[in-house]
Amino acid sequence: MEYILEAKGITKTFPGVVALDNVNFNLKKGEVHALLGENGAGKSTLIKIISGVYKADKGTILYMGKTVSFNSPTEAMKAGIATIHQELNLFEDLTVAENIAVGNVESFLLSKRKLINITDKLLKNLNFNIHANSTVRNLNTSEKQLVSIAKALFLNSNVIIMDEPTATITEHEAKILFNIINDLKKKGISIIFISHRLEEVFEIADRVTVLRDGKFVGTTDVGHTSEQELISMMVGRKISEMYPKYNVPKKKEIFSVHDLNVGRIVKNVSFSLKEGEIFGIAGLVGSGKSEIALGIYGYIPSKWKQLKVGDKVISKIKSPDQALQEGIAMVPEDRKTMGLVLELDVMKNITLQNVKEVEKGGIINWKKADDIAREEIGKYSIKVSSVKQKVKTLSGGNQQKAVLAKVLRRVPKVVFMVEPTRGIDVGAKVDVYKIVNNLANNGIGVVFISSELPEIVRLCDRVLVMHRGRPMGILEGNEITQENILKLATGVDVE
Amino acid sequence: MNWRTILRKMREYPAIVGFVGIVIFFALLSDRFFTLSNFLIILRQVSIQAIIAFGMTIVIISGGIDLSVGSTLALSAVILADFLKSGSIFTAVFMALLVGAAMGAANGLIIAKGKIQPFIVTLATMAIGRSLTLVYTQGMPITGFPQSFRFIGRGDVAGIPVPIIIMLSLFALMWFVLNNTKLGLYSYAIGGNEIAAKLSGVKVDRYKIIIYMISGVFSAVSGIILTARLNSAQPTFGYGYELDAIAAVVLGGASLTGGKGHILGTLFGALIMGTLNNGLNILNVSPFYQQAVKGIIILIAVLLEREN
Repeated sequence: MEYILEAKGITKTFPGVVALDNVNFNLKKGEVHALLGENGAGKSTLIKIISGVYKADKGTILYMGKTVSFNSPTEAMKAGIATIHQELNLFEDLTVAENIAVGNVESFLLSKRKLINITDKLLKNLNFNIHANSTVRNLNTSEKQLVSIAKALFLNSNVIIMDEPTATITEHEAKILFNIINDLKKKGISIIFISHRLEEVFEIADRVTVLRDGKFVGTTDVGHTSEQELISMMVGRKISEMYPKYNVPKKKEIFSVHDLNVGRIVKNVSFSLKEGEIFGIAGLVGSGKSEIALGIYGYIPSKWKQLKVGDKVISKIKSPDQALQEGIAMVPEDRKTMGLVLELDVMKNITLQNVKEVEKGGIINWKKADDIAREEIGKYSIKVSSVKQKVKTLSGGNQQKAVLAKVLRRVPKVVFMVEPTRGIDVGAKVDVYKIVNNLANNGIGVVFISSELPEIVRLCDRVLVMHRGRPMGILEGNEITQENILKLATGVDVE
Repeated sequence: MNWRTILRKMREYPAIVGFVGIVIFFALLSDRFFTLSNFLIILRQVSIQAIIAFGMTIVIISGGIDLSVGSTLALSAVILADFLKSGSIFTAVFMALLVGAAMGAANGLIIAKGKIQPFIVTLATMAIGRSLTLVYTQGMPITGFPQSFRFIGRGDVAGIPVPIIIMLSLFALMWFVLNNTKLGLYSYAIGGNEIAAKLSGVKVDRYKIIIYMISGVFSAVSGIILTARLNSAQPTFGYGYELDAIAAVVLGGASLTGGKGHILGTLFGALIMGTLNNGLNILNVSPFYQQAVKGIIILIAVLLEREN
């Protein structure tokens, strides 16, 4: 038995789309196998077929040498294939032990003490630093992930599928996760690892399979490939520059803030930027980096000694509306909960932030709004069937472009971009980087706030690093390296 | 129009389909139902509920709810009645609308600035409004208005009863507001995603206050029509009207979580409720059963809605 899991010739169609077309995938015992592809490439569909959520139209799945066809995720889990979803599906108000028991323990009565003892033993065996008795709500994202992993291992899973496990945790927490994955490997457990981040694939995976538009592109040993090769496999074209960076002359100062305090988190932050400068803010989750943007933008209460946009001194910003009038714009962190009204169409979402352009006496000229929406859709090459398409049906990358379109329609003096590439595919990321460069080129000050260090390092002219709400220093030029940022972000001084 | 587009439209406006179905049902069972005069009766009866439901529609679209509509109706009716006895019709109507606007403004202000759930706030103002009405009237009806005032409730223009004309005008107004104005777009946006609306520069608090004021004013209009029709203002006016209005809006396809709904749906939602009342009475169905029939219709409608 060479493979523990083998999927052969898997085809799956949904009304109107071929999601998977004759795809092959195999998994060795004790290996980490990365599954790569842009959004819509078919990764999730394949995972859902393996884990029993969907049934394939054609093709077979061999698990431990036998043909299997699971009717539900529970069946797959009982057979030893566990999936850890991105959204984690935990019960926030139950304890760790109870969460692990739900769906795993079949007896009707159960002793709380016994459950906690078993769970504590399991957690200790795994070297997880969590208590069985803690309430899940009080754990952070990466700890919650460990609970999900523990839950998978409770049933002695042979295969664990991890769907973008690093999308919502910090680089530091990802390191911890990778150590755990390596431990699991040594125990002979096989892992299917889905990620958007190429550098992680090289760090953790043994082999990698690339899908594109529902088709199998290839499987290769990670040692025998390169980042460039994987990107071109994923997007089907050469991306000579993953991180485009234009050389923009810096002119006069466009924005500055002194002694900024936001809520109870951010303390004494000062920085300034020039026209055409891309200024990065880095830090772990909870470092207060996104609160800096929300505070200045008037969404959460903040105070400062002095804030200047251009030559204008602004003593207080009470609302996003006022911030926009002062020429401060923000691309919010989460496009679904903060950026877009998902039930509305693309045109209305773009209009929402640019009503002034199309209204007279409170009455909207929809013909004009339609023209503007078409113009923006063209400008950002947003893939839509019509301007009336609801944004909830767009892919992540196109949603993000719709957010950029609505925020940047009225040209700001300075724009705060918070995690602008989170959860979008490589192609869309490059588009976002180009947009950022163009903004700088047009003399706009860009504050680029991100948890993804590679983009911070390659894109930004200067980088402010935050640690627990306090500024740890501003890196410049050659000082901007992942190592230096991580040292500051974890509270270690750079010498 | 081919069958497919008709089918799609039917799915889009389930309330119209339901209304047509109910009309056919009653028309088959009684020859007294399907007449022009009976339809005018239904429309006139529905007008008071429908106008409240129009105001409720924009509130629900914006993600809120207004339980105080019945109390607002009663309070504005008794204020109207009091001013009718001493002053001009114009002043009295103006005062009634002012009371409606004030109740709505109070709701909106507490909801927006106090950041309290609309359900709780309007539950409280519902009780307070009712109490004020009872105190103001000492529990007694107010009667004795000028003959000309009754025109609003009982008169007609070219054969069409005035309440129906008022209802259709307000329908047209709300249709325009929801589809073609900044206020309409903002209502959908606030109900769909309040955070995104705020971050897009919408003055959410201000618009919430305006939205609840619309609901208050529309309740007052209903109060004026009801007073004119019955030629008296009673402190018990409008008991339970909030539930009929919410039912009409939900039957019309709006979601109580906000961001969805349209005024045409609400009109037909209200028509369904009114037609059921009328038809069941014509068929001599005991009033004891009528509430259950309405309840079942609402459940069926919401279950069908979920399919989409």
